[in-house]
Amino acid sequence: MVKFYIDGKEVVANRGETILQVARREGIYIPTMCYLSKVKPIESCRLCVVEVEGVEGFVLSCQTPATPDARITTDSKELYEHRQNIMKLYDVNHPLECGVCDKSGECDLQNKNLEFRVDSQEFSARDQYRPIQDWNYLQYDPSLCILCEKCVHVCNEVIGDDAIEIEYGGYKSRIIPKDAETLDCTWCGECVAVCPVGAFISKDFKYSANAWELDRIPAACAHCSASCHLYYETKHSSIENPEPKIYRVKNEFEFETLCGAGRFGFDFENREAKKDEEAFKRAIEAFKRADTIKFTSFITNEEALLLQKMKERFGYRLVNDEARAYQRFLENFSQYSGKSLYTPSLYDIEDSDFIILMGSFISSDNPAVRYAMTVSQKRHRSEIVNFHPVEDDLLKPVVTKFVKHEVGSEEAALSMLVDILCDEDAKKRAGKEWLESFDIGYLSAESNIGEEEIEDILKRLKMKKRRGAKRFTLILGEDLYTHPRAENLAKLAGLVDRFSEFDVMLIPPKTNTLGVALICDLDEEEGEFSIGYNQKGDFTLSALGDGDLDMPALNQQEGTFTNIDRRVVPTNVALPYEGYVLNDIAKELGVSDKEYTIEYTKELPKEKGYKEIEFDELDNEFLNDGTEKRGYELEIKKVNLSRKNIEPIEELPEFNGTVIYRCEPVLQFSPFTNKAHQLRTKGKLYASETFLNDLGLKEGDKVNIQKDNITISIEVERDGFIASGAYLGRFDKNIDTESLFKDYRFTEVKIQKV
Amino acid sequence: MNGLEQFKDRNVSQNYYRVKIEPYPKTPWERFKRVVRRSLRLELFVGLKITLMEMLRFKIHTIQYPKEKLPISPRYRAVHKLLRLLESGNERCIGCGLCEKICISNCIRIDTRPDENGRKIPTEYTINFGRCIFCGYCAEVCPELAIVHGQDYEHASEQRAQFALKEDMLTPLDKLKEQKEYPGFGAPTPAADKLIKKTPLAY
Repeated sequence: MVKFYIDGKEVVANRGETILQVARREGIYIPTMCYLSKVKPIESCRLCVVEVEGVEGFVLSCQTPATPDARITTDSKELYEHRQNIMKLYDVNHPLECGVCDKSGECDLQNKNLEFRVDSQEFSARDQYRPIQDWNYLQYDPSLCILCEKCVHVCNEVIGDDAIEIEYGGYKSRIIPKDAETLDCTWCGECVAVCPVGAFISKDFKYSANAWELDRIPAACAHCSASCHLYYETKHSSIENPEPKIYRVKNEFEFETLCGAGRFGFDFENREAKKDEEAFKRAIEAFKRADTIKFTSFITNEEALLLQKMKERFGYRLVNDEARAYQRFLENFSQYSGKSLYTPSLYDIEDSDFIILMGSFISSDNPAVRYAMTVSQKRHRSEIVNFHPVEDDLLKPVVTKFVKHEVGSEEAALSMLVDILCDEDAKKRAGKEWLESFDIGYLSAESNIGEEEIEDILKRLKMKKRRGAKRFTLILGEDLYTHPRAENLAKLAGLVDRFSEFDVMLIPPKTNTLGVALICDLDEEEGEFSIGYNQKGDFTLSALGDGDLDMPALNQQEGTFTNIDRRVVPTNVALPYEGYVLNDIAKELGVSDKEYTIEYTKELPKEKGYKEIEFDELDNEFLNDGTEKRGYELEIKKVNLSRKNIEPIEELPEFNGTVIYRCEPVLQFSPFTNKAHQLRTKGKLYASETFLNDLGLKEGDKVNIQKDNITISIEVERDGFIASGAYLGRFDKNIDTESLFKDYRFTEVKIQKV
Repeated sequence: MNGLEQFKDRNVSQNYYRVKIEPYPKTPWERFKRVVRRSLRLELFVGLKITLMEMLRFKIHTIQYPKEKLPISPRYRAVHKLLRLLESGNERCIGCGLCEKICISNCIRIDTRPDENGRKIPTEYTINFGRCIFCGYCAEVCPELAIVHGQDYEHASEQRAQFALKEDMLTPLDKLKEQKEYPGFGAPTPAADKLIKKTPLAY
């Protein structure tokens, strides 16, 4: 704690905090052009200079921690002139095209020019020919670029793509794709978000609207369980059509990061829906007849609660395989960890010194976790170990050790981890049977995880601990929840959480899986007549617009999600919806007596950690110092520990022949992302170079994928981001991936070229 | 003498005089007598005398509208026009949206998109003349002098909307030569050249 003064105001800095960070937290204004809170100080603009009493010259406030009792002045005549000159230099040859620039109205250069009253120019330089670059979703105009380097830093330090760099050349300097002719990255669009001027823009948004005409709707991203905070920006569709339309998505880029699906996949609304009374009557009849409701986790907490209430009243079976698997995993985990939920959040991952990731193809399963890992790696060189059968090239810059294991041998891998991470107590707790079945030679041979690899991990861990590492995180993904041995895996994970310094995080596979798992009482088996909600049933309710009764998509609803941080985050209505909602059905059936679905927010089950707070009381913002004020965090309760021993390790399953994986390509999560006009694409079999060579296939070939009596005809595409294996996604609803992958995420198939 | 003296003299009663009004007739008989008196004295023609004399002299002061029209102030604000560049005939409007923003009755709307050369173009431009108050802010804010007020005050139509579309306001290409520069609000002042500071160039 350091006490010092800014402009006479007494302030206190925490350890390591810079002058600028303290000033921002305290609401004292220091102008900057290149400073971005979530990356290391870039120090390219020199606008943030301040005067310190007794120190000759100016001091860069963005990188200087305060000294005790320093007296700092943020504004004086000299500072003003210095800053004014910097702004004049930025303006040299900056095209005077504010009239058409997309950034006009929210441009840092415009703002600071007005602030420092730049009304004439003394400096000049010879203008250069720098043509506009066209990069897929993005466009880069070098002549508008002020070379603040925010985009380069965010791409390297937060995203981990490391796809762009600066080509130095004096006045000719510009941003170029790193080691490539053209940009090939995961298209997160974060460079567009952080660009203070109109140099990086979204091609889709270009020239379609001005910053000041758009209405901002704070919401939560509906695509994955990170439920990132974002703003939908809407305006009337056109002169002829006054209906609002989402033009773009913006985020609080200073503090949080959005992936490409969130940024570009925004128009997944169910637009044409109307109040179809006939269909509604049929729906009510179907509900009276049905004994099962099948649904996915792309629903709000309140809808989940409505489904649960319907179950309590009419005894429906609630079927949601993916959430059920997660729920079971979480229950078993709790019984051995003693906590009702996992503890780490994304912030904890950012602060972790040692991370082990298992069972998740993270760059497409949950990009937010990937970004958090990148931050931890770049900020304090954390060790990141990844266990997975598929080699993900996107993680290469981040992962310090990749352990490739055989498909299906997660139990062996987790057991080996328990062996090195936990002490004798834990092994005693695991029980004699487990200990006897733990034959490291056999496991190592069958899983293809070398004993020396495990020793190497232990060595790295010890090294980190010697250097004062404090936070350790084990991140587990969907491979484990769907694994035939999921129950035992969950128990082992619980042991790790309880008996080692590692905190375990269980990534919820879909947007609101955690919420559904906590709120709904899920069943295993389907009955005879089912209602499908966003799933095919005998009567289908669909937000995709292809069912028997329309439902609102998640950008047309208000409600809450329970996200990966165990946080209940609110989302708001961005687009109007004129059809029926689930609450209407519940009202008709006599289950609900509320007018709006959000009146259920305060009724979410308290015994699971939810709080009794009205929807309208929930915050949805970030504070000046980056504190996330969104909704509230679930309370973690104590759970009685199970006394049962852990089952012995089963013989590892053998996967021979051609094995494919189930995951989505980057930029896709579900049929909803695939509905968005920028991301729309046909589902393919995405294969690595080695996979193609092994089967003698070429990109563009048509193949038949066969398993049992199911055949899927599909085109093959080469995916440069994976080094081995092939995968199928579920985002294209025309391809019946579900029936191929009944439970586990890997499956054996026969692939024949057509 | 600066012409303000007349306003400084606040003793407005000095030129007043009392009008002699004969008493009103009270009984019907008196009223009848007044009608007869007025009719026989041909008072009507006293009033008409001037008119008749002017007619015979053919010194007519009336503007013969619609054959004749009074010149109106260049700053008159009638229905808007969208101008073109004189040399190329291209539309001046760059679609910056400032008119849309500044419009206090919120009656302007523009649709824009990039054209095939990557430039921003307004695909459609409308003004809701049912709401427009002809304040002239749009013309004043326009950086390109593209949206201006016209001089044409004769607009009769079945619907107000018939003036409001882009093709109604835009100068037709064949009438480009007749397009006049707008001197109203927003146009450069006569001294504009002197106020400009030149940006230095390195070549």
